[in-house]
Amino acid sequence: MSLTLYHGEPNGPSLTVLAALFAKQLPADLRYIDLAHGARHSLACAHEPLVAMSIEGEGPVLVADGEAMTDSVFIACYLDDVGQGAALRPADPYDRWEAMKWCRQMIERTSPAAAYLGCRAHPPQADAAVLERIGSVDLRARWEEIAGGQFSEQKLEDSRSKIRQVAERIEARLGDREWLMGGYSLADLESYAWLAGMVPLVPDAFAERPRTRNWLARVKDSPPVAQALAQARTSEPAAYWSVGPEINRWG
Amino acid sequence: MHSVTLYHWEPNANSGKPMLALMEKGVAFNSHYLDLLKFDQHQPEYLAINPQGTIPAMVHGERVLTESTAIMEYVDEAFPGPKLMPDDPRDRWRIRWWMKLMDQWLGPSFSMIGWSVFVGPAVRSRDQAELKAAVERIPLPERRVAWNKAISGNFGAEEMAESRRRVALGIRMLEEALGKWPWLASNEFSLADINGFNLAYALPLAQPTLSNDELTPNILRWLRTIYARPATRACWAMGRTSMVERVKILEQPHIAAGQIA
Repeated sequence: MSLTLYHGEPNGPSLTVLAALFAKQLPADLRYIDLAHGARHSLACAHEPLVAMSIEGEGPVLVADGEAMTDSVFIACYLDDVGQGAALRPADPYDRWEAMKWCRQMIERTSPAAAYLGCRAHPPQADAAVLERIGSVDLRARWEEIAGGQFSEQKLEDSRSKIRQVAERIEARLGDREWLMGGYSLADLESYAWLAGMVPLVPDAFAERPRTRNWLARVKDSPPVAQALAQARTSEPAAYWSVGPEINRWG
Repeated sequence: MHSVTLYHWEPNANSGKPMLALMEKGVAFNSHYLDLLKFDQHQPEYLAINPQGTIPAMVHGERVLTESTAIMEYVDEAFPGPKLMPDDPRDRWRIRWWMKLMDQWLGPSFSMIGWSVFVGPAVRSRDQAELKAAVERIPLPERRVAWNKAISGNFGAEEMAESRRRVALGIRMLEEALGKWPWLASNEFSLADINGFNLAYALPLAQPTLSNDELTPNILRWLRTIYARPATRACWAMGRTSMVERVKILEQPHIAAGQIA
């Protein structure tokens, strides 16, 4: 099996996939690309439909035996299937449903909010030539808004409130658990990847939530995440953001 | 074995996904029909099962499961019967990729159009004070926004145009994928086909200028093949509204461009 991973700084979707790769002890050719400057759109596979139309926004691309794969949680499920060592998803169907439902809420509600706030604080940049190359019309429109500094106050407030809601859920969920699903799982990787950079941006969400803060520290120190963070080229990878998924437009 | 109860609306979109998955697996279940147009899903009896008030929900023994695509994966894993996910990990990735596109990008665009032409008009003539009270009971704020738009018919021209753009592009993407694979994104019938059929079963009727036997032969072949399956017939027979009767369009052996304009 041949794996090539095109990834950005270890934050958001790149962090989820890097950590999953290391957790599953899979050898891969790691290629750093600057997602915050739209570098994904210059890859040879950029115009394949499942890359161009990925609704995750600027996430990593894994090329597995010639097939270019996107959407970090599902790439991580693939790595979980083909790799070694402890499973990243629970084996029991109900527990697995719970983990996948958790990830789905992260994908659908938390990641658009986190990316919006992250891009406001640490704007990604793409010039006209890069924007021209973006195959998805709606992704290009999000890039144009963000690169043009057009942030809606209503969306910013809605995003902050979604970060507060997920922190509240994590605090309640942890109880006396060490990890969100009991055992260390993809739910921890995915949740940490989007929330690590939110602590300085929405401090009140984490202020009175000691279990959540301790859990963030535990995930950060866990070997797969520590190894992923060691790939960083900036001093603060959690301050590296690129355009994310769109904020829910209907129902 | 624990009993299974499914709380669902019509075999359509999210409700139809676990209905059809259970029927394909041959799992007997108690059907609890919730009339979305009468706001059954926001009544206290149902909120006790699913506090978010979203349909569908499945109760297996003592456990409550929500989120239709995640429920389908559970159904496939927890029960015996034919497998609805291929063994190949890359196929599984592709199936999940497509289900996400349909659930979060294409489905909401179909849904916006459907709510503007079916759901809104179906409830609009009711007593306004009663409707207002019904909307106030909805737990999720984004669902309240959706219902207010449907009731008032107040969809923006720009958002409707964007939904139409996505529907047209989604149809082209589906046609291309089904030209490459016999089923949606793999060589085997899977959850992606169940998901896709729920989204697209009435496509040649709802979007006759974009989908017909001349423009999208692969989509039409795929829809008719799924419709011919016994589980699909049994599932769609559980429908109660004119909306799901649209599936009968697939009984026509050939739908020419311009035939149903």
